[in-house]
Amino acid sequence: MTELIQHLSLGFSVALTLQNLMYCFLGCFLGTLIGVLPGIGPVATIAMLLPITFNLPPTPALIMLAGIYYGASYGGSTTAILVNLPGESSSVVTCIDGYQMGRQGRAGPALAIAALGSFFAGTVGTLLIALFGPPLAELAFEFGAAEYFSMMVLGLVSAVVLAHGSLIKAVCMILVGLLLGIVGTDVNSGIARYSFGISELSDGIGFVSVAMGMFGFGEIISNLEQGEEREVNTSKVGSLMPTWTDLKMSFGPIVRGTALGTIFGILPGSHTVIASFSSYTLEKKLSKDPSRFGKGAIEGVAGPESANNAAAQTSFIPLLTLGIPTGAVMALMVGAMTIQGIAPGPQVMTQKPDLFWGMIASMWVGNLMLVILNLPLIGMWVQFLKIPYRVLFPGIILFCCIGAFSVNNSPAEVYLAGLFGLFGYFASKWGCEPGPLLLGFVLGPLMEENLRRAMLISRGDATVFFTRPISCGMLIVAIFLLIIIVLPQIRKKRAEVVYESAD
Amino acid sequence: MALKIRSMKDFNAGLMFIAIGGLFAIGANQYPMGTAVRMGPAYFPSILGWGTVALGLFVLIESFFVDEKPPTPTAWRPLIMVLGAVTAFGALINTGGLITATVALIILSALGGHEFKWKDAIISASLLSLTVWAIFDKALGLPFKLFPWS
Repeated sequence: MTELIQHLSLGFSVALTLQNLMYCFLGCFLGTLIGVLPGIGPVATIAMLLPITFNLPPTPALIMLAGIYYGASYGGSTTAILVNLPGESSSVVTCIDGYQMGRQGRAGPALAIAALGSFFAGTVGTLLIALFGPPLAELAFEFGAAEYFSMMVLGLVSAVVLAHGSLIKAVCMILVGLLLGIVGTDVNSGIARYSFGISELSDGIGFVSVAMGMFGFGEIISNLEQGEEREVNTSKVGSLMPTWTDLKMSFGPIVRGTALGTIFGILPGSHTVIASFSSYTLEKKLSKDPSRFGKGAIEGVAGPESANNAAAQTSFIPLLTLGIPTGAVMALMVGAMTIQGIAPGPQVMTQKPDLFWGMIASMWVGNLMLVILNLPLIGMWVQFLKIPYRVLFPGIILFCCIGAFSVNNSPAEVYLAGLFGLFGYFASKWGCEPGPLLLGFVLGPLMEENLRRAMLISRGDATVFFTRPISCGMLIVAIFLLIIIVLPQIRKKRAEVVYESAD
Repeated sequence: MALKIRSMKDFNAGLMFIAIGGLFAIGANQYPMGTAVRMGPAYFPSILGWGTVALGLFVLIESFFVDEKPPTPTAWRPLIMVLGAVTAFGALINTGGLITATVALIILSALGGHEFKWKDAIISASLLSLTVWAIFDKALGLPFKLFPWS
């Protein structure tokens, strides 16, 4: 307990310096600003804003990035409530009742409850990271190459479980991601693999280009294909203050949503969607009058929004303690840390305690800032939503291009991003999701390195992955997961969830 | 029995994966393979590449048996204009400068939208040029060349 207080006070002493507070604020502000814009999800937002942090020292850079992430997720729910157009898949559920509340002139309370619920969930999530971070990191120190390899396999398999649509296509996307990830100079032999003599490629493909191309450009082209039709609830945001009944009705859903979100957040895989969906289903089941759901029930906003944010928060746990990203957003965080010269993993906590605890404390500060920032500024976000997409999207492309260029001050990254835009557009048209690819892309070099090391240590004996107990356990879980999603019954259920979320 | 493609999505995706996996797997031949104990640079990509080919084949075969809605028609105009705008930006940034590249990107990409209005495009190109200049040149002080003559 005293250790926890010590850690947190160290963290707050870092997070509350004027400089770091400013970067945290700036991150939340910019994240919300871009996140509010419809048709641009958190991954594209982070990829677009990432280059701004390159010139900062590591601690403020990561604090700002985390702020961007919360801002982007929160901005997504604002869009969901006001426009009925989810900026990201996890706010799909918020659309259902949030938008209805907006149409009844109660957008204000819906936004306020979403903010308060997210703040509560964020607080719990932050505390959990502080509590479970150190013991998990200690466990991770015991891990050898075989364990790391198996853990990455497990992480990739779980990412597939929740991918939309075809299972095999998701696995294919992971494999392509892994392949793209190892383009560039091989650490062991010094051979530049698949660089085609292009000097920029011998440093590897920049993950900013991949993320921007697939999530930014690819999505913009798809949006343009669909045409513009949205109805903004601008004139009737109404009073922000929720009534006393609203608060009483939301309390239970917020607590339950937080609990659900926390559990799903720690599990590897892309979890925010499933967290908010299960929270919505749970609240509907527990409700005395389930028919209210879909017609503007405040529980349908409070629960899923809390679950979503709790999951977003706790998904930092595997990243910070084990160094394993669990989704596309966390994959971007790995990339950002690598650029700052930090290898994510358990050693961050012991070698750079100020960075680690500062980042955690700033997560809580960031959540607080979102409440303070968003409620008064809601009028401004509404004005933003009024900008027509045809004016908006050239600007988004512009900032992506400048961002890609400034990674290395080279046009090569810009061309690469364009190429990945092309690939991303057709891949998603043919039912292949970009998320697993990005995860594979980040894990590619790590997986190869650990595979090589494990095989070297075991003298080429591949059974090492099954004879070491922790490694074997993780592989068994991975195989088990693969088996259950292939089972016809579960497959049907999964299709339903996916179908609903695509609706 | 005549085989008919029932899922164009899977058919295309399968071909795509076979092509990508195959390229990587065949490309790996020029690097040393090594052994399972000391894996060479070709080892990991060969496994992954052939794995992708195998799964891609599976997707391809599946496309003859599973019915699925055809993919929505390709939006050629947005696709070409957006990618053209990105390429133009890359080509102009070092020679023409940031402002030139910005104007070219905005006008080209706006042409990919549903309705194009010269007035809107010119207004947003000027406003964004100003913003970009203020943020990247003045505030962040990044060493961008602004105009062709600067």
